[in-house]
Amino acid sequence: MSEEEKFDVIIIGAGPAGSSCAYTLAREGKSVLMIERGDTPGSKNVTGGRFYTYALEMLDSGLYEEAALERKVTHEQIMLLSGDRSISIDYHEPGFNTGGEAPMSYTILRANFDEWLAEKAEEMGAMLACGIRVEELIERDGKIVGVRAGEDEMYADVVVAADGVNSFMAQKAGLIKDIEAHTVGVGVKEVIELPARTIEERFNLKEGEGAARMILGCTEGIHGGGFLYTNQDSISLGCVFMPAKAAERGKTIHEIFQDFKMHPSIHPLLQGGLTVEYGAHLVSEAGYRGIPRKIYREGFLMVGDAAGFVINTGYSIRGIDLAMLSGIAAARAIIDAENTAEVGPQYLKELDEIKIIPAMKAADGFFDVLETPGLYDKMPNLANDVFNNLFTVDGGVPGSIKKDVMRLIKENGLSMWQLIKFGLKGVKSL
Amino acid sequence: MSYIIACYKWVVDEADIRINPDLSIDTKKSKGKISDYDKNAIEAAVQAANILGGKSLGLTFGGPETRLSLKDALSRGPAEGCWISTGEAAKADAAVTAKALAAAIQKISDVSLVFCAEGASDTYARQTAPRIGAILDWPVVTSVSKLDIEGSTLTAVRKLDDCLQTVKVDLPAVVSVLPEINDAPIPGLKAVLAAGKKPVTEIKAEELGIDFSPKTDVTEIKGYLMNRKNIILSEGEAADKVKELAAYLRKEGVL
Repeated sequence: MSEEEKFDVIIIGAGPAGSSCAYTLAREGKSVLMIERGDTPGSKNVTGGRFYTYALEMLDSGLYEEAALERKVTHEQIMLLSGDRSISIDYHEPGFNTGGEAPMSYTILRANFDEWLAEKAEEMGAMLACGIRVEELIERDGKIVGVRAGEDEMYADVVVAADGVNSFMAQKAGLIKDIEAHTVGVGVKEVIELPARTIEERFNLKEGEGAARMILGCTEGIHGGGFLYTNQDSISLGCVFMPAKAAERGKTIHEIFQDFKMHPSIHPLLQGGLTVEYGAHLVSEAGYRGIPRKIYREGFLMVGDAAGFVINTGYSIRGIDLAMLSGIAAARAIIDAENTAEVGPQYLKELDEIKIIPAMKAADGFFDVLETPGLYDKMPNLANDVFNNLFTVDGGVPGSIKKDVMRLIKENGLSMWQLIKFGLKGVKSL
Repeated sequence: MSYIIACYKWVVDEADIRINPDLSIDTKKSKGKISDYDKNAIEAAVQAANILGGKSLGLTFGGPETRLSLKDALSRGPAEGCWISTGEAAKADAAVTAKALAAAIQKISDVSLVFCAEGASDTYARQTAPRIGAILDWPVVTSVSKLDIEGSTLTAVRKLDDCLQTVKVDLPAVVSVLPEINDAPIPGLKAVLAAGKKPVTEIKAEELGIDFSPKTDVTEIKGYLMNRKNIILSEGEAADKVKELAAYLRKEGVL
């Protein structure tokens, strides 16, 4: 095996996890090769579009200032849709956008962000090969020692699978099985172009500020939800569904998404815009219990989505920051370990230290909350009914609000007991 | 060892070009790429270099953005890269482009064969190869769909409107190839990695001592709308509709 065919580390996938891992390793002088399937990093990605800045700060302080980011999120919004009605909550904290400190989160477009981050890793000395699909892992004496792409073989002390949700590399390594329908959602997303000024007017934003909105009740009762992020001069609008449930409805995901776009409270936000991108992707939904039992073997590590590092609490979704953190953790483990056998156990320690595993454990309860029957149709409908009741003035004698609410709970096919149980479950998961 | 040169152009990816409602062209979000047919010219040069025992070289002429093209071009097989860099390239016409390329070819000096694609995927002007040949006073063979090299003789099959013409020329020569000349392979992992290590020469355009003022000035680029006839055949039996359609197509000279 010649010098030219061996690297310290080969990373499969140049997304946030892969590039963060490569950046950290290359900075420490390791020889790193990133292999990316897309023609450019980010070209294969679909993400809602919010990024928590602390992860970039952890990679290298101040890096965020030159990053390919869109708007600082200062408006956190929740929206409940039911029929043609809606309730919106807008939490505005201008402090999220104060100068001097790193703003907490930004909206991003992954095609730009991933390309930029991979470039940073290259600047640190990592090599990047795009447009290449890794087909096989090379195994010797029970260890993973390299990869095969087409006719070419390339070797490394450690191979890092950063190839995203439904990781083929982890399957090849025998660490996960083929994907199970109930553990993933299908996300669809459009990027709709609008002038920056129009976006700022429609969302009541200052220049450079952005809104991040989670939407419940836009999925025809199917487990899932919508999201909307304001980019510099476009809006990312999307929906995530459990695919099995969607299939039972007999409606295509695209049709449900179209209805969502036409909702009287959504459509005016998009009006006059031009759809410049349409994409779909799988999203890991299982949280902590979705992490495979083993995320390493000798010569092989899994990071980011490949390892199931996604937290969905219903009111926020985190994936990119966890991906970057896990990439950093993997790099630290590789740097610190004395031999390849030590890398895996060290990686688990680093994951704990960098707080991914504890954060995911803490959010585990949300998985059950989000499984609650009625959460995606009856409850948003009830909320809208209650508001309707509250704001109806027709000259009659208003009834007791308590009685009205009890009646509406019943009318929505829910019971007080169910709501109390839901509340308890929610409180428990906090 | 003599050089076999493939000239290629770094163009705007047409997939990213948008035509605005006022027909103005928006290339703000467009990325660059190697002109599609040039990939076949590169492959032809690599194959010819193997036959001739020469060295294949990818040659391009362009502004600062063209630097990005070299890794991609070299991953497709050429042993070396050469980039004539100038900010003037953006407004260069075919005359200027050919002058720059020919000057670089003369500078490289030991060249036995130059390949171009028949036309670039953005302008398809089909002028580069003939003009280079004229400047160098070398034989030019265009529209080549097949070629053989034996010793210093090149036999090429030219695909013309409705016939194939076979010609023989002595090297050195300039050849423009059609895409069917070969299957340009997608570069593999090792080829991509090797590309980063291959030697690249940057020639500053002013070193070439040529006049960069174009003879053709582009005054406007805009999209155009095709006026469609919008004829819908919806009445009658399927067989009649087909007949009617055929009649229309005949009338339009399509059939």
